[in-house]
Amino acid sequence: MSSRPQRLSLALPRVTRVERGRALAGVAAGIAASLGVDATLVRLVFALLAFASGAGIVAYLGAWLLLPLAGAEPPSRRRQAFGLGALVVAFSLGLRGFGLADSLVWPVVIVAIGIAILRSRRHGLPPLLGAVPIVVGVVLFVDQNTGGLHQPVLAPGAVTVGVLVVVGPWLWRLARERDAERARRIRTEERAELASRVHDSVLQTLALIQREAHDARAVASLARRQERELRGWLYPDAGRLEGDATLSSAIEAAAADVEALHAVRVELVRTGDCPLDERLAALALAAREAMANAAKHSGVDEVAVYVDVEADAVSVFVRDRGAGFEPGAVPADRQGIAESIRGRMERAGGVAVVTAAPGAGTEIELRLERAGVAS
Amino acid sequence: MRSELDATVEIVGEAGSVAEAVPLIRELDPDVVLLDVHLPDGGGHAVIAQVAPERPAVKFLALSVSDAAEDVIGVIRAGARGYVTKTISGAELTEAVHRTADGDAVFSPRLAGFVLDAFKGGELVSDPELDLLTAREREVLQLIARGYRYKEIAARLHLSVKTIESHVSAVLRKLQLSSRHELTRWAHERRLV
Repeated sequence: MSSRPQRLSLALPRVTRVERGRALAGVAAGIAASLGVDATLVRLVFALLAFASGAGIVAYLGAWLLLPLAGAEPPSRRRQAFGLGALVVAFSLGLRGFGLADSLVWPVVIVAIGIAILRSRRHGLPPLLGAVPIVVGVVLFVDQNTGGLHQPVLAPGAVTVGVLVVVGPWLWRLARERDAERARRIRTEERAELASRVHDSVLQTLALIQREAHDARAVASLARRQERELRGWLYPDAGRLEGDATLSSAIEAAAADVEALHAVRVELVRTGDCPLDERLAALALAAREAMANAAKHSGVDEVAVYVDVEADAVSVFVRDRGAGFEPGAVPADRQGIAESIRGRMERAGGVAVVTAAPGAGTEIELRLERAGVAS
Repeated sequence: MRSELDATVEIVGEAGSVAEAVPLIRELDPDVVLLDVHLPDGGGHAVIAQVAPERPAVKFLALSVSDAAEDVIGVIRAGARGYVTKTISGAELTEAVHRTADGDAVFSPRLAGFVLDAFKGGELVSDPELDLLTAREREVLQLIARGYRYKEIAARLHLSVKTIESHVSAVLRKLQLSSRHELTRWAHERRLV
C-alpha cells in the first residue's frame, strides 16, 4: 500500500499532503515539498489551470481525494477512485481549455483512463478492464481524425506537451539526483576533513593519555594542549590579522610550548593584535622566557598572560601567584634568565619591569613603544 | 560543575537546553543561574531574553569553554552579571556565584580582555558621558586582565574592594547601555559579522 503514491507520480518521490505551511488542504504545499520547489509556484499552476475551463479546481479536488496526509493512513479505495476520476476530468477539461478539439480530447481521456486502470491493477481489477478503454480510445482517435483531413491531426503544441509529460519527470529526477549527489560529496569531504583532524589530534591525545595515565601532570598537560588546539580550530579568532605572523599568534604559540614543556596552565588574554616584526618577535621570545621562568620557579600551576596592543605601544604582562623572590637577592641561575628577558627587551628598544616579593608572586611587564615600528 | 560547587551553594535544578531551562527557571525562581554561553538550541542569551522580563530578580552568571568574543559580549549585553571560564576552580566558582547573588559583577581576565577590546581607544564612542570608560575603569579592567583579583587590585590602587566592585559594575552597565550600532561596528572591525 505504501508504494502507491510513488507509482502514481511515476518518477517523482512520494507525494503527500502536508499540515505544515498549508493554505487549503495541503495539496500544493505537499507537491511543492516533494518537487523541492516553492509552494507558491505550485499554487500558481493550479490557479492558472483553473482558467482552463476550471481544470485547476477539479485537479486540486482530485489530488485532495487521492493524496494521503503525511504520516496518516492512505485514503480509502473509493476515495482514491473518485480522486483518479476527478484527475481524469481535470485532464480533459485542461486539454479542452487549451483549445484542443473534442476529437482529440476524448480519445486521449479514454486512453488515460485505461492506463490508470492498468497501473492500479493491484486493486483487483482485471487487466482486460484497462485494455478495453485503451483500444476504444485508439479506435475512436483513428476514426475521428481520418474521416476528414480538414484539421491537423496533431497540433505541434500538443506534441510538445506530450513529450514534456513523458520526458519531463525523468529529466527532473536526473537534475535532482545530480544535486543530491553533489550535496552528498560535499558532506563526505567535510566528514573526511573532520575525521582526519580528530584522528591527528584528539585520538592521538587520547592514546597518549591512556599511556600516561599514571602521571596526572602529564595527563593534564596533554588535555590542555588538545583543548587549545581544538578550540583554535573550532573557534578561529576572527580578530586575528591575516596570515600567521602576528604578535598574538606568536605569544599563543609560546604559551602552548610552555604549557607542553612545563605542565602549567597559561591563561592568555589579549586585546588587539598587530603584525609581527623583528622587535615584536624579540618581545614574544622574552615573553616566552618569562612564562617558562614562572612555570619553573613559581611552584604554582597557573600563569596569567595579558597582551595589550595599543596604538603607540605593546605591553605583555606575565604573572604568577607563586613563591616570588627578593629582587635584590636573585640566585645566579635566575640572573641569566632575567638577562635573557631584560637584555633582549633592551636590545629591541623596550623595557622589562620585574615586580616580585617573597610569597607574593611575580609579575614581569614587557613594554615596547610602537613608534619605532611604524617608521 | 555540580561537584565543583561547595556546600554554601544549593543547586536547585539543572537543564541541558534553552527549552528546558526557561520553564525550569520560571518554576524554581533561583537566585543565580549558571548559564552556558553555548546551549544546543540557541545561546545563553536566549534564556536571558525569555526569562529576564518576568523574573528580574534572577541573576545570570555566564560560563563557557569556547570564548568567542562576540558570544561572550552577547550574553553580557543580554544581562548576564559576569562571565567565567569552565577551567575556573571550584572555590573561585563558588565565590563568583555568591558575588553574582549579591548583585556584583564577575569579571574573569578573559572577559576583561574582551571588554577592553570592545571599548578600545574610545573609537566606538558616540556619547562620551555614557560610553567612554574612565581612566580608572580602564586601569581596573587591565589589572583584571593581568590576572589580579579584586582584593589585590584594591590594595594596589589604594582603594576599597567595594570601590573596585562599583567600577566593575559601572563598566558592565556601560557595556549593556552602549548602542547596538557601536558594538556592531566593533564586531565588524573584528570581522565577527
